[in-house]
Amino acid sequence: MKMITDEDLTLLYYGEHEDPALAATVAESAELSARYEALCAELKLADAYQPPLRDDDYGAQVWQRISPRLAGEKSSSGSRVTNWLTTLAQPRFSLAGALSIALVAALAFTLGRNGGPEPNNKPVTPSGLAGSTVVAIDSSRLLNHSVSAHLEQVNILLTQFVNTSETSSGETGHVTDLLVANRLYRQAAVVEGNQKLAAFLGDLEPLLIELAYQAQSGSTASRERMQQEVKNGLLFRVRVMNQQLNKSEISV
Amino acid sequence: MQLDSLPSIRKVGKSGIQYFFKYPANLSQSPHVYTSEMSQIEQKIIRKAAAGDRTAFRQLVLEHSHSMFRLAWRLSGDENAAEDIVQEAFIKAWRKLDEFRMDASFKSWLHRITVNTAMDYLRKHVRRRQFETAEPEWERMDLAGELPDTGTQIDIGRQTRTAMLDLSEAERTALLLKHYEGHSIEEVARIMDISTGACKQNIFRAVKKMRVALRPLVAT
Repeated sequence: MKMITDEDLTLLYYGEHEDPALAATVAESAELSARYEALCAELKLADAYQPPLRDDDYGAQVWQRISPRLAGEKSSSGSRVTNWLTTLAQPRFSLAGALSIALVAALAFTLGRNGGPEPNNKPVTPSGLAGSTVVAIDSSRLLNHSVSAHLEQVNILLTQFVNTSETSSGETGHVTDLLVANRLYRQAAVVEGNQKLAAFLGDLEPLLIELAYQAQSGSTASRERMQQEVKNGLLFRVRVMNQQLNKSEISV
Repeated sequence: MQLDSLPSIRKVGKSGIQYFFKYPANLSQSPHVYTSEMSQIEQKIIRKAAAGDRTAFRQLVLEHSHSMFRLAWRLSGDENAAEDIVQEAFIKAWRKLDEFRMDASFKSWLHRITVNTAMDYLRKHVRRRQFETAEPEWERMDLAGELPDTGTQIDIGRQTRTAMLDLSEAERTALLLKHYEGHSIEEVARIMDISTGACKQNIFRAVKKMRVALRPLVAT
């Protein structure tokens, strides 16, 4: 009779032994039963290696952390322009994105004032729009789309901020990036003549400065106070403005 | 002899731990049995996510985060590392979703990504073993010796964790996927990208080492 090894018993324990008669063989032998019993008892103790529990909404927390990174990681089924804009609006690209928008806005503004042909000689296009106007509309749309993506990032940052009690490792850098991007978008909005958007981004700036400071060296008490302030109004304003920008983009 | 008629054996050790010894009548109900069948709903969600649908991918994240965290934590032994590993693994999964074969188990596929991500992470970072610091004297006692009188108070979880993290990467991974995640040996081999034979050897070695480490905690 073939000798039954501990390996055989291990496979039996995990229900993977090839010989279906092994269980009966073990059951009929006192010695084998004792060995198998010992194996079960010892492996049963391994069940004590349990990870710390996560909240029920852990999946949602993971999603909140990774979702800003997803758009830059894979092409979605959307248009190339949309993908490019979304990618540009991700945290690591936000500065470059904001700079590009500011440049486009400034260029459009300059073209609008100086670059077009004389009014009397201007040919009327079928759509009734002059070339420079088309550039201006595109830059306005580009700005709206980019600021909307920027506000989405701010929204995520603020939501994380009001829901966590400690500063995360990447928070400082992220806030600083958003702050610089916010300034550039505000300047682009001024150039575009969108005073409402410029004013809103202007209102957002002190908060981002305070958040950047808070992320570096703020106390728990000041964090709680800021969390309350954000909850009480600013978060709502960011979301409303974001919605308005999305609507205006659709209307264009 | 009918297997179902075999008696179950119950034993209560000195430590007060109770366990049941039943023969194959209950093997089919074992938590280790794992089915790789994927529901049609999940397939639809995966297809959508692979086509770039973020909402669909969000559903997959919500569904599998806990399981991936458990695996990542058991591989790393560190809560913060496990959090990072889960996030990185999902980002990788998002990138590679269109490579997923629908006839395979999505859970196994995710676990493979998690294992690879964890291995990369652990090689890059110094593994923190918080349990190695500030341990009470009695907990550092030679486990092969006599247990202290307060044996029932021993933190079995901590001892198990120590034993687990003393295994080699391959042994630990194989045992975790088999013992805790309930994958079949074939699935574990696929996840680890090794042969079935090598996988079995890793499990055998891991079980042997774990038994030596945990034996003193089982009252005779």
